[in-house]
Amino acid sequence: MGEDFQRNQLKELKETALPCFQCGVCSSSCPVFRVSPELNPRLSVDSIISRGKVPSEGNEWLCAYCLMCDQRCPMGVSLAEILMVIKNISAREGKAPPDVIESAESLMADGCQSPISSRSEKQREDMGLPKLPRANPADVQMLFRATGAAEVVELNRKAVEEASE
Amino acid sequence: MTTSHPKGSSAGPPEAEVVSSEPELRIGVFPCKCGKNIGAVVDIDAVAEYAKTLPGVVHVQVNTYTCADPGQREIQEAITQHGLNRIVVASCSPTMHEDTFRKTVKAAGLNPYLCIMTNIREHVSWVHQHDPKSATQKAMDLIAMSVAKAATLVAQPELDVPVTQAALIVGAGVAGMQAALDLADAGFKVHLVERQPTIGGIMAILDKVFPQNDCSICILGPKMVDVAKHPNISLITMAEVESISGYVGNFEVRVKQRPRYVDMDKCTSCGDCVEVCPVDVPSRTDQNLTWQKAIQIPFPQAVPSSYFIDPEACLGMDLIRCGKCIDRCEQEAIIPSDKAKYIDFDVGVIILATGFKPADPSKTPRLGWGRFPNVITTLEFERLINAAGPTEGKLVRPSDLIKPTSVAIAQCVGSRDIGTRSACSNYCCAESVKCALLIKEHYPDTEVTIYYQDLRMHGKYFEDQYLKAREEGVKFIRGRVGEIQQYPDTKNLRVSVEDTTHNKLSMETFDMVILSMGAEGAAGDFPLPISCTSDSFYIESHPKLKPVDTSSAGVFICGGAESPKDIRDSVIQASAAAGRAAIILQKGRYPIEALSAKIMQDLCSRCGTCVSRCPYGAISQDGTGKFTIMGALCQACGTCAGDCPQDAIYMPNFTSQQIEAQIETALAENPSDKIVAFACAFCSYRGSDLAGVSRMQYPTNARVIRAMCSGRYSVKFAQKAFELGAGAVLYSGCHLPADCHFQTGNVWMAKREPRIRGWMKRNNIEDERFRVEWVSAGEGKKWQTIMTEMANAVKTPRKNIPTPKTQTVAKSEKSAKSKTKTTSKDKQAGKPRSPSKGASQKKTTRKK
Repeated sequence: MGEDFQRNQLKELKETALPCFQCGVCSSSCPVFRVSPELNPRLSVDSIISRGKVPSEGNEWLCAYCLMCDQRCPMGVSLAEILMVIKNISAREGKAPPDVIESAESLMADGCQSPISSRSEKQREDMGLPKLPRANPADVQMLFRATGAAEVVELNRKAVEEASE
Repeated sequence: MTTSHPKGSSAGPPEAEVVSSEPELRIGVFPCKCGKNIGAVVDIDAVAEYAKTLPGVVHVQVNTYTCADPGQREIQEAITQHGLNRIVVASCSPTMHEDTFRKTVKAAGLNPYLCIMTNIREHVSWVHQHDPKSATQKAMDLIAMSVAKAATLVAQPELDVPVTQAALIVGAGVAGMQAALDLADAGFKVHLVERQPTIGGIMAILDKVFPQNDCSICILGPKMVDVAKHPNISLITMAEVESISGYVGNFEVRVKQRPRYVDMDKCTSCGDCVEVCPVDVPSRTDQNLTWQKAIQIPFPQAVPSSYFIDPEACLGMDLIRCGKCIDRCEQEAIIPSDKAKYIDFDVGVIILATGFKPADPSKTPRLGWGRFPNVITTLEFERLINAAGPTEGKLVRPSDLIKPTSVAIAQCVGSRDIGTRSACSNYCCAESVKCALLIKEHYPDTEVTIYYQDLRMHGKYFEDQYLKAREEGVKFIRGRVGEIQQYPDTKNLRVSVEDTTHNKLSMETFDMVILSMGAEGAAGDFPLPISCTSDSFYIESHPKLKPVDTSSAGVFICGGAESPKDIRDSVIQASAAAGRAAIILQKGRYPIEALSAKIMQDLCSRCGTCVSRCPYGAISQDGTGKFTIMGALCQACGTCAGDCPQDAIYMPNFTSQQIEAQIETALAENPSDKIVAFACAFCSYRGSDLAGVSRMQYPTNARVIRAMCSGRYSVKFAQKAFELGAGAVLYSGCHLPADCHFQTGNVWMAKREPRIRGWMKRNNIEDERFRVEWVSAGEGKKWQTIMTEMANAVKTPRKNIPTPKTQTVAKSEKSAKSKTKTTSKDKQAGKPRSPSKGASQKKTTRKK
C-alpha cells in the first residue's frame, strides 16, 4: 500500500489510457453524459493522458458502469475500468463524495445495502419460499478490514467531517 | 504453390569467368586506414604485420582509401602480380562497399564471391575510440576470422535466366488498366485478368471524382476502350488465376475463366434479351438499390461490351425451363453449353492490382446501417447521385423517395477502429467533402453536416476543395458519431455526437445519414506466397525505396492491393510498377542470386524439414523422394540450413564450415572474454553499423559474424561457441513477427532458443550468457546497450566448459569440395550447368 502502490496504479492507468485518440464516441454513447454533462469519460481520460494526473473534480462518481463506452471505443480502451480506478485513487486520497461514504458505512453497520422489508418477508412466506438469510455485519466488517476498505471509509469520513467544520 | 521445373532453368551458357584452379591458397589482405577514420584508432601497420602471419596469406597491402580508384587498382594489380585467389578487404561495413570490391576483383578476373570484407570501422574504430589497444586487437581478430572464412570460399557461378517478355496483371481496376496500358505501349504482351464481367473496378461505379469533381466514367470510359482495343493486351474477364509456378522471368500461369453463356463477338448489346428475361436479381453495380435481370450487363459503358448470364439466377437456358433470351436474340449469341475453361500462358513478371473491398457497414451496428433505410454508405450515395443510377441522379431517401433537406456525413466508418480496421483509409475524408459538394451543387438548400474526427485533406488541391465546401455552407463538426437512432414514424435519424471542440453533446435530427466507408484489405487470396499485413494488404519490399516491389523477384504490387488509396495515387503506383516490371522484361535475361542453397544428397536423410522452412516454396521433392532446391526461387536466407538435422544444406559463402571456422578463430585466445555475436544482413547488422556511424561507444568484447538472415543460425553454432569457452553468445535478427526480409527466418530462429537454453541448462552454463535480441536497422542505441550489458555478463569466468562431441563435419566438407570440383570441371568443358542438375552431375563425378 501507500505511495508506491498509488504511483504504480497511476502508471498502469496511463498505459491503459494511451491508445485513446479523443474521438468522442464514448461520451456520445454515454447515457449519463446526456443528462449530466459533468461526466465526460473522454475528458477524464484526457486528463490522465495529457496532464498525467487523476482529475480532481470527482465527476467520475456519476458513472453508472453500464459499459457502453467500453463496448463502443474504437481503440478498445476500457473506459469504465479507467473511471473505476480513478474513483479508487481519489477515495484513497479522501475525496470520495459523502453519499458514497454514507452508503459504505450503512453496509458496514447492517451487512447489507438495502434492508429486507417485512413486506417482502411476508410475500415469500405466502409463496412458500424459505426465509432470506440475515446478513452478518461482523462478516462484512471483516471483509472491509481485510481489503483495506475500512481504512478508506474512515479516511473519507474524517475528510467529510473536516470539510463540514 | 506448385513448383515444377520450367524449361528456363538450364540458365543458358555460363558467363566466361576465371575460376581458380591452383590448389594453393593465396589470400590477399587489404587493411584500409579510411583516412583517419580507422587509422587514428587502430594501429593499421601492426594489423598488417599480424595479417602476414596468418595461414594462407601471401600478400598484405595497407591503403589510405581502398575504395578510391587508386586503392581499387592496387587490389587488381596485386591479384595479377601475386596470383591472389582470395581477397579480404578490411575496411568499412560490407553493407557499404561489398558490391564495390566484388566488382573490382571481377574486373581483375577473379570470381566476385571470392572477395569478402572485414568491418574494422563501424565495428571497431568508430565504437572503441578511447581504447586503441583493444581496438587494434579486435581488428586483428576480425581479420583472422575473415581469413579463416576466406580459406574455404568457393567460386560461385553468376547465373542468369531468360525472361519471357510478357506480363500477367491481376485485376483490371484503374491501377491494373494503367499498368497494362503502360507495359503494352512499351511493346510487351500483357495478359490482363479480371474477376468481374467488366473492367473498370470501383472507379467505374463512382459518379464524380475528387478533387476537381470531374465525371468518373467520362475519364475512365475511353481508357477502358483503349485496354480492350490494344493489340498487346489480352483481356480475360470473369476469370481468376488458378495456379502459378516458376520464378522471375519464367512464370507459368493457369487462369480459370467462368462461362459467360453469351458469345462476346456476336452480342451487340442491343438489350432485347433483358426485355424478355423473367428473373430479377439485385443490381451489383447499383449497390443492391435496384433490380436487374439474370441476363445483364454491369453498366452501359462496360468492357467487354457484352451481356452475360448469372447462372445462379437463370431459370435455365433451354426452352423447357425458360430459354426466352435464346428465342429473342437475333444474333444467336446465347451459348447454353458454355463451360468454364482453363487458359495457360507463360509470363516473365506479375503485377498484382487486385484492389481492396469497400468496408462492411454492418460491422458497425451502432450506426444502424441495414436497420434504418435512410442510413446509406458512400458507394450507395454515388449510385443515387449518378445520372446512370437507379434514380437517374435524383438524391432521395430510400424510405420514402423524398428529397432530403438535411444530410449528415459520418466519417471513419470501418477505419480507425480496432474492431474493423485500425488504420486510416486515406481517401474517405476527401470522398466525404466531395459528397457534400455534390449535394450542395444539386440541392443548394439541403443542409449538410460532416462529423469528422480528424479531417485529413492531405492531397494536392484537396485544401481548395475543403475551402469550397466551407464557402458552400457545409458544416464541419469535430466528433465521431456515437450512435444513430431512428424516429419510427418519420424514419428521420437522430445523430448523437460529442462536439469535442466545445465538449458538448450534440443530438441533431437529419433526413439522411451517409456513412463514409473505409477500405478493407482483400489481398492474400492468391496462389503466390506474397506476405500481407494483418489487415490484408500486400507488403512491399521496402516501404520507402521499393514501394511497388515485393519480396518475390518479378512480382510487383500497385493500387488498392498495396494500401487504401485514391485514383491518382493508384495510377501513379501502377505506372511505377509497370516501369519496374519493364526493366526486367526489356533486358531479356535476369541475374539470379548465385548464393542459392544446395542440398548435399549424400548427407540428406529426406526428413523434409527444409520444405517447411522455405518461405519461397523453392524446395520440392521429386518422384523418387529426393529433395532439390530451385536456385531461381531461393533467396539464400539459409533458414533451411539452420534447421537441417543432418547439416546437409550447403549455403555458399555462409557454410557451416565457414561459420565454425570464424567461431574457432574468434575464440582462439581468451575465449571467456569474448562475445560471439551473430547478426543478420538486413536488420541487426545494419543496426550495429548505425551504432558505429553514430559513434556509440561500447566495450570491445564482441566478435560479430554476419549471415544473410537470423534463420541461418543453427543451434550448433551456439553450442560450438560455448564448447570453445565463449563468454557469451548473441543471436540477433529482425524484429518479430513481420520485419524479417526473408519473411519467417526470425520466427524459426526464435523457435531454436528453448533448445539452446535446454542444452545450456544441461551443461551448467548460466542463462544470461546467451541472448536472443531483435535489433532493427534503426536501433544503433539498442545494439550499444546489448553490447554493454553482455560485456558485464562476461566479466565473471565461465563455471563449466562442456567437452565437445565428435561430429561428422568432415564429411560435409568433403561433399562441398567434391561439388566445387564438379563446378570447375563443368566450366572447363563449357557445359551449361543447372542448379537442379547439380546433384546428379556430382554423383557421376564421384563414380569416376
